[in-house]
Amino acid sequence: MGFLPMLWRVDARPNRVTAWTLSWFLFAVGVSMYFYTARNRHVLNPEDKVVPSLHQITQGLTDSLTKADSDDDASTGFFNSMLWTDTVASAKRFGWAMLLLVPAVLLGLHMAMFPVVGQFFLRFILFFDKIIALSVLPILFIAFGIDELSKIMLIVIGVTPTIILDTFNLSKSVPPEQIVKGFTLGAHDFGVSYAIVLKQIMPRILNSIRLNLKAVMLFLFAGEMIASQNGLAFRIALLRRHMGMNIIIPYVLWVALLLFLVDLSMRLLNRKLHPWFREA
Amino acid sequence: MVSRGLTVSELIRLDKICVEYAAKKVLHDLDLSIARGEFVAVCGQTGCGKSTMLRLILGAEQPKSGRVLIEGRELCRPDRHRGYVPQKYSLFPDRTVLDNITFGPEMEEFGLLGRIRPGYYRRRRELRAEAIRQMKHMGLQESDAGKYPDQLSGGMQQRVAIAQALIMKPKILLMDEAFSALDPGTRTDMQRLVRSVWAETGTTILFVTHNIAEAIFLGTRVVVLGKETPEGSSKVVLDMEVPDSIRSSSGYPTRDVLDRLTGAIENAAVGGKLEFEMAEFGG
Repeated sequence: MGFLPMLWRVDARPNRVTAWTLSWFLFAVGVSMYFYTARNRHVLNPEDKVVPSLHQITQGLTDSLTKADSDDDASTGFFNSMLWTDTVASAKRFGWAMLLLVPAVLLGLHMAMFPVVGQFFLRFILFFDKIIALSVLPILFIAFGIDELSKIMLIVIGVTPTIILDTFNLSKSVPPEQIVKGFTLGAHDFGVSYAIVLKQIMPRILNSIRLNLKAVMLFLFAGEMIASQNGLAFRIALLRRHMGMNIIIPYVLWVALLLFLVDLSMRLLNRKLHPWFREA
Repeated sequence: MVSRGLTVSELIRLDKICVEYAAKKVLHDLDLSIARGEFVAVCGQTGCGKSTMLRLILGAEQPKSGRVLIEGRELCRPDRHRGYVPQKYSLFPDRTVLDNITFGPEMEEFGLLGRIRPGYYRRRRELRAEAIRQMKHMGLQESDAGKYPDQLSGGMQQRVAIAQALIMKPKILLMDEAFSALDPGTRTDMQRLVRSVWAETGTTILFVTHNIAEAIFLGTRVVVLGKETPEGSSKVVLDMEVPDSIRSSSGYPTRDVLDRLTGAIENAAVGGKLEFEMAEFGG
């Protein structure tokens, strides 16, 4: 049987070179197509801003890495740069949102472990989970103003119900034998909840948060794009008005890289903290 | 049914226990008394309520009516006086062998915030040394201490589970089909281990199994649960002492005795007449 037909079998085992080639192929096609289009457009209009050339992108990236975010501000250097200040502003909001996931995890755990807490919150959280966070954005701006709080609340409303329900379901999936065993080994209710159940589900919770990182960023970007004075999404929205694609494209790639790095560090942290955990 | 009178030093008493699941009676008017130091093997067919009975004694389940008394007191939830070794999920997968064994004493002495209590690390070292001794006693190597449960064979996992339960020095050890998933060779080793643990510690053991031969192998007393009708509730159809005289020098009944007893008990469990006398076996 030939090489290509062999690859189409469900039990195909592509060698290292084939696997590497396959996994990078679409990247290569995407980059090639982009620069092919950019070159064609620049032949017709050397000042084209819609599909900036490599030179324009490099120029935009250099500006965002060296120049301050305001024309009035003459300060230079990376730590005064537009990209850095925007990244710090977005990172702060992101950090607050991640911090607020801790009470969400604890609530989910207590709902699963203590039936009274479960009865009290479950129906409400299930209802809350069905509310489209972006649809309450106007309410948030009216209730909390257009400052930081409303943006963080948007992330909280968008993501916490999912994390609460995920934690609830994960806690419920711990075999009852383990809980009974905990009691027979002298643990009390909180001992069983924290030392047995939470400890066992922690790697899965971290995975659940990892899967929700994009949702966190989505709500963060929505808030920043609508009402903000800084942040990565604010800059992208601002530059859209000026057709600043030479900066927007590096920003988009920067956000993707940041998210990838957060995801990677959470994965490595998970592996380090929970060496016993085997992903299904 | 071979009836059995009240024992001198009663530890567990099930008093007119009724259990129903979705209006289906599982146990009805079940009475049972277990004395301190007995090794009671409970057997019966699948679905006859053996594990339900164990969970009642454990306190993990409550009867619809009747009382479960441990040392004359009604208990409503599992506690450190009743050790538990289930068939599956017997160990905490997130802890090493050593941490599994020391979990109970550490939790009992220090609670959740152990690390910040004075003397924690000194006491922890002592507990770990005790756990290593317990491990060796269960036939495990010291080199296994740092392994996680999924790195152990089924038999080794159950050895750790027994060590984990015994380090708490429970009054009662409840084992629910603890060896059912093991291969025959390992199973025999584990049976020998549990018998020797019982002989050494004198802990009251309630061992649930669907294997009658295993029940006779292990128990000083065999309780067989059976249903009156296929749809009906279960009751104790046989409650008998297993006399030491039927055991060979190795401590186990001979194959011939075992086969005859097993056949007779199987017949009784499905409602037949119990057609043997213990005297036949020298009892």
